[in-house]
Amino acid sequence: MNALLYLVFLSARNRFLGAIRRARSPRYGAALIAGGAYIWWFLIHPMGKMTPSMLQSFLGQGTEMFVTLLTVLTLMGSWVFGADATALAFTQAEVSMLFSAPLSRRRLIAYKLFKAQIAVLINSLIWVFVLRRGGTILPSPLRAIGIWVLFSTLSLHRLGAALVRSSWTAHGQFAAKRHRWSIVVFAGVGVALIVGLISGRQELMSAPDSGEFFSTLGRLLASPPAVWGLGPFRLVVAPTFATSISQWAHAIWPAALVLALHLLWVAYTDSEFEEAALEASIERARRIEAMRTRRTFAVGAPRSPSSTIQLASVGHPALAIIWKNMLCLKRTAQLRVFVGPFAMAIAVGFAFTTGLDTAAHIAISSLLFAGLLLIFGGRLIRNDLRQDMQHLPLIKALPISSGDIVIAEVASATLPIAAVQFGLLVICYVSLFITRTYWVSPQIRTGLLVGAPFACLAFNAALITIQNGMAVLFPAWVRLGPVVTTGVEALGQNVLAMIANLISLGVGMVPPVIIAWGLVTFLHQPRAISLALAVIISSFVLGIETYGAIRFIGRSLGKAEPLQTV
Amino acid sequence: MIAVHDLKKLYGDFTAVSSMTFDVGPGEILGLVGPNGAGKTTTLRCIAGIISPSGGTISIAGHDLRTDAIEAKRALAFIPDEPHLFEYLSVEEHLRFIARLYGVADIDARSTAILSEMELTDKKRSLPGELSRGMRQKLAIACGLLHNPSALILDEPLTGLDPAGMRRMRATITARASAGAAVILSSHLLNLVEELCTKMLVVRQGKCVAYGTIPSIIAAHPGLEGLPLEDVFLALTGDGAQGA
Repeated sequence: MNALLYLVFLSARNRFLGAIRRARSPRYGAALIAGGAYIWWFLIHPMGKMTPSMLQSFLGQGTEMFVTLLTVLTLMGSWVFGADATALAFTQAEVSMLFSAPLSRRRLIAYKLFKAQIAVLINSLIWVFVLRRGGTILPSPLRAIGIWVLFSTLSLHRLGAALVRSSWTAHGQFAAKRHRWSIVVFAGVGVALIVGLISGRQELMSAPDSGEFFSTLGRLLASPPAVWGLGPFRLVVAPTFATSISQWAHAIWPAALVLALHLLWVAYTDSEFEEAALEASIERARRIEAMRTRRTFAVGAPRSPSSTIQLASVGHPALAIIWKNMLCLKRTAQLRVFVGPFAMAIAVGFAFTTGLDTAAHIAISSLLFAGLLLIFGGRLIRNDLRQDMQHLPLIKALPISSGDIVIAEVASATLPIAAVQFGLLVICYVSLFITRTYWVSPQIRTGLLVGAPFACLAFNAALITIQNGMAVLFPAWVRLGPVVTTGVEALGQNVLAMIANLISLGVGMVPPVIIAWGLVTFLHQPRAISLALAVIISSFVLGIETYGAIRFIGRSLGKAEPLQTV
Repeated sequence: MIAVHDLKKLYGDFTAVSSMTFDVGPGEILGLVGPNGAGKTTTLRCIAGIISPSGGTISIAGHDLRTDAIEAKRALAFIPDEPHLFEYLSVEEHLRFIARLYGVADIDARSTAILSEMELTDKKRSLPGELSRGMRQKLAIACGLLHNPSALILDEPLTGLDPAGMRRMRATITARASAGAAVILSSHLLNLVEELCTKMLVVRQGKCVAYGTIPSIIAAHPGLEGLPLEDVFLALTGDGAQGA
């Protein structure tokens, strides 16, 4: 067997066997069942037939045109900005073993294409399932072929563009001359599109609302010169949007022809791509590492810091852990997650205003974002044990008790989330003062605002503690450090972890809710004071419960060993 | 300074380390040698408090690691073969972090001196991702030495260092021992062990097969006289036949 095919086949087989072996363990087995159920329910389970009008709007010409435009814009981005460097990426092992092996560039590219087909096939399959849920006239195998042609063409185009760009960067005008036809064709597409949009800009600008804007845009794209540029891509997209077998049969051959042309183009673009591929591989490795540590927003490579946060060299050592985690927050895009809600709350408030009461809309959106942050804050930032468990040998060698480590780690994520939430609640409070809408009395609003900082701290601390507890107690169920499990059982683990989170929080909330209810019911004070007291006291109760949980997690961390996390 | 008695570590049914007993006094350097998978790193990790022993006792500077872990760890520095660094802390910030954890008061002076010693002064604002493997190792060493530990554990300390760095590291180990630190050094470089160590502990399959000064070990095993240390090592670990 060809060595490269052997590599692909064995890698896939071993990955599959590894997943099967893992499933023998009860917790992975349970996770596999949960993951399978999730996939069945959300991806495969039929939702009922779509009506013809629904089908028309879902798979109609407007959607088809929009997908075509999106495709072209994405590909233009890879040509103009070179954002698709990772299309050339190989794994570190591939770079060290295949680049030094006696293999031609064309064979390496063919290998890359073959591997890309695995991702293309999986994506095609997912989309077939998504599209068949509503029930369509087109049989699934035909839909699958249409989607496969579309994704394969996109994959080939990305690779071709990356090859031409890398050659151009390395060899300048010589390479530009060599690849002139590729460049001219895609530049023609861009020019046709831009000229088409510029010629119709008056119509677009004068559109009274968003609906009219998009229908004007659709008209412009369907008429020359924009339609000339979009033509080849419309051919590729068309089979995916076919609503009958005859429509599909007419559309598939031109699409297959475009795919074949792309294949020829890439196969004969024999550029010196190794250096660019190497850079792309490093970039991909960095992105994977960022994703693995869930710094999913960390798009830039870390650079030398221009500023720091001061830390005294004496004092309680736990503060050093918080300081370290705050620096991490500051130096990664995680910080944007916290600045974003303020900007978005105000922007969304303005966007949805009808001109009558902007402040009311800002109040609602602030409240909404504060709530969303409560649910997703702990998922968006992970500057706590979920990140530091990968440094377990270092953390455990430090002269600080495990309980103090857990407190510091939980505080590192809790404090910034609670601060932003409280800021949003203050915006909501101020906005309600200037609004003409009168929902809740000012006294009660003030009472709730007084209790808000305590509630924000207690709620977030409880949620973050649960998530850190999962990382310590069930490290195999939480994405930590360098080891990432993928597949159905990993999805199932996430589902089970989420359920465990909800149950833990639900149980933990029982005493504070009872106490709050008792205070509001039996305390014969003005309602605002009762509410403030209820929020503050129940927050303290939740805080005490959380502290107990932290101490328990601390003891478990003391017993945790690095081998358990890998 | 470092006293290990009847150390045992089990992973399920597998015995990684058993019946390990040794001590390292102030000024002594113990060379821990053995083939791959012999239990060296497990032993060092137990002493550093990273993993819990299944049995036995470990004492660092008079503090029992089980009952007084924080004070024991405060007296200790563990420098692993693979440097564990925080990706988003600069070189200088790593030292500040360690200073706070170990309560190093004169951090500015110490930091300047140790950065100079490790030739990291020009890189003090760099993040670990911008450093070479050797520089990362130097930073890990700097973090370990910052608080003047009285017990020093080094796992393959020369890995990744350039020749000048290796020479400086050897001098640093000797200097720390001369200043009264107890040092445990795990290495496959037998010439390093022979040059620096006052005692040697040979482990095989988790068990101690020889312990003492190199002359005393040779004297205790007839037939090893006059052999180079490599042959002594191979004979003790049972790899002599394979190597022949």
